[in-house]
Amino acid sequence: MILHVNFLPGERAGAAALVGEVVAALESAPADRRMLARLRVHLDWIQYRQSFREAVAVRRAVDCRGAAMPLVELAIDVRQATRAGLAPALAAALEREPGGVALESFGPLRASVIWGFNTLFWQHVAAWEAVSGRPFEHVLPSGRSDANHPQAIADAVADFWTLLRDLEMRNQLPPEIFVLEIGVGTGARAAQWLDRFRELDAERGRGFYPRLRFLLSDYSSRILDRAAQAVRGHREVSSFIALDALNPFKTLAFLRYKLLHIHLTNVYDNLPTDEMVRKDGRFFAVETRAYLPAALAAAIAEEFELPAEELARTIGKFLGVGPDYFPDRRRGVEFWQAVWRAVRLEERLVELEDLAAARLPSGLDPAHIEECVRAAPAEVRFHLSTGAVESFLNTVPLLHPRGFLQVQDIFVTDMDEYRQGFRGPGKLDGSVVNWINGALLREVGARAGYDVHFAPFHYRPDSRTKILYTTQRD
Amino acid sequence: MTNQRPLLPTAVVGSYAMPGWLERLKTDYFLRRISRHDLDEIHDTAVKAAIKDQEAAGIDIVTDGELRRDNLIDYFALRLPGVEIDHGSKKFYYDFFDSVIRGKMPMATLGLVEDFRFLRRYTDRATKFTVTGPHSLVKRIRNEHYKDEAEFALDVARALNLELRELVKAGATYLQVDEPYYSGFPEDLTWSIPALNVMVDGVEAKIGLHVCYGNRYGKPSWEGSYRYLFPAILEAKLDQLTLEFARRGVEDLGLFREFEPPFELGLGVIDVKSHTVETPAMVGERIRRALDVVPAERLYINPDCGLLHLPGEVAFQKLAAMVEGTKIVRGEL
Repeated sequence: MILHVNFLPGERAGAAALVGEVVAALESAPADRRMLARLRVHLDWIQYRQSFREAVAVRRAVDCRGAAMPLVELAIDVRQATRAGLAPALAAALEREPGGVALESFGPLRASVIWGFNTLFWQHVAAWEAVSGRPFEHVLPSGRSDANHPQAIADAVADFWTLLRDLEMRNQLPPEIFVLEIGVGTGARAAQWLDRFRELDAERGRGFYPRLRFLLSDYSSRILDRAAQAVRGHREVSSFIALDALNPFKTLAFLRYKLLHIHLTNVYDNLPTDEMVRKDGRFFAVETRAYLPAALAAAIAEEFELPAEELARTIGKFLGVGPDYFPDRRRGVEFWQAVWRAVRLEERLVELEDLAAARLPSGLDPAHIEECVRAAPAEVRFHLSTGAVESFLNTVPLLHPRGFLQVQDIFVTDMDEYRQGFRGPGKLDGSVVNWINGALLREVGARAGYDVHFAPFHYRPDSRTKILYTTQRD
Repeated sequence: MTNQRPLLPTAVVGSYAMPGWLERLKTDYFLRRISRHDLDEIHDTAVKAAIKDQEAAGIDIVTDGELRRDNLIDYFALRLPGVEIDHGSKKFYYDFFDSVIRGKMPMATLGLVEDFRFLRRYTDRATKFTVTGPHSLVKRIRNEHYKDEAEFALDVARALNLELRELVKAGATYLQVDEPYYSGFPEDLTWSIPALNVMVDGVEAKIGLHVCYGNRYGKPSWEGSYRYLFPAILEAKLDQLTLEFARRGVEDLGLFREFEPPFELGLGVIDVKSHTVETPAMVGERIRRALDVVPAERLYINPDCGLLHLPGEVAFQKLAAMVEGTKIVRGEL
């Protein structure tokens, strides 16, 4: 058995005692003792208040032909696990697969039903907030978004200003200065950015502001309407575009090589992703299956007066319609919130014959992954950051040769970080959150002609946010 | 050899589509997974295929597709006498080596003649051979000896001049100097054009100069207008100037009317940064716009830049469309 303690133990974690309990529980567990030699136990501290994990979960493995492999992993969330409850939970997890109500079959994480919930949340965020009684930003670790930090915005404007001035000095500044923000949300950041830009322009008298074409984008026109209110003082230079963050180029192809600056905050961490494992010199895809634990499913069925056997089908229909699926909208949101709190992900590892044969997400090829894991620990589980990679590759063709992309988000910038803590997925209110594999984005960027750099977000102490920015690769 | 050129001769700028498998094998060579001998054989095979693809598309003047070259710099930096290369400095074939000059550059040829002979052996068509110019090389090779870039560029130009003369001796009649870095550093024209003139001095062949806005990783490195080239470029000892117009539009054609340069124009009519294949009609229209400014006798038809980053099938179809579009216009003359 190999025990992985994937976090830095603190006082609250009580890892030492728990390790003893794990070994004791395994000694008395009814599992096949031959399994013990191959067993991997992972102790994680799940940093999200709500996640998709039970206190103890078993990950089984199948080979590339679908046959069961002896490899088994035990995943223990130290945050949830109690010493008293560990032994029975462990015995139960080893004895049988999780029961309850399955919401789907095993498949890639990026295709899971959890992304349907995520989409629903952004479509009906106002309804969700009305029922939960607090704005979405209040559930963020700091209670507010790093996107709107005034000094960070002032510095970003100043950097952009320097670029414009340099281009102008070389007679290379285009007549129109295109800037794009993807995922503007309330428009608060865009408003601050525009205010600061206009202020700087007035101070320095270069006349850049009237040449500005600031494009505010988000996935729905309803959100853009709200953002339009926030930037109403900049009507002459603002445009509003509904686009899919996964493919901005599809909407804005006419601006190929024209955008001097593109910004995103907390968009990548909310895009579909996949995970991969390298273990014993082999690669495994992590497949997931969303389910509701039996007890929670029964409680939901009872509370909302639904036949238990109809619950999965009802949830499927609900995801298509939204809270109005219930005659009383508020009741619909309450159902949605109860289901979302209950959703768990069962995981299994599927062996890949080799990387070349793997069905990799769009934009990734085996060379990216090989290069990325070259410096990684021998045994590592990591994100493919499927949506982030797709979005990145469909965004950079819009950049002017001297333009740059800036992304504020939670990035893993060194593959070694993957064995130092849990990196997702988790639940943030009604949305999904995942760390992003910055090391992989660095490889993807290099092959696309961009050097990808990361800087700490030093404007808030203890912030986990980092700032990705690109420079043209020579 | 068929050297009878039709009106509006069609040509590639230099590179042909780099197959994915060739990229992987080139990188495998850097990672010591395959031998130099194997890589040479692979290159020979790829170059033959590139030549035949150009012929099949109907191109009048073919190149070797530059498929032996990792990028526009390293193939020359490795051969320039006195330039030191850190062979461990790149992990992907397309990256640039770290290269440095630490003493006065000795004068010697680069050994490109074998590549030219190989090209001649496998085609009866007219040929063009491309060489990166001194300005672009100086911008990438670190200078730890010369007092400035201008002085360094002159010695690079002298070495390249020896090479061009060797190529002419081997039968080359059409040579093209590639200077994509001009557009990023217009202020360097004061010394880069004299260096260019040293490079082509006494070379008895048609001399072309290709200037674009960059094609590194299949995207532009700079944007702007070719106006920066004028009037300085009129001092260059050239027969032809090859520029990109398909992606950027034809506005800069007016510069040929305004300055009336004595050169032929290599007209870019294919956008090499887009995978969308142009129609022959579109190509024809682009040629007609140029004919308003430059007479047909002084007009060559080519893509905007090298086809390196395009998938093979797209590159072939684009060349075929270019040839068809050119035929349409020839019929109108």
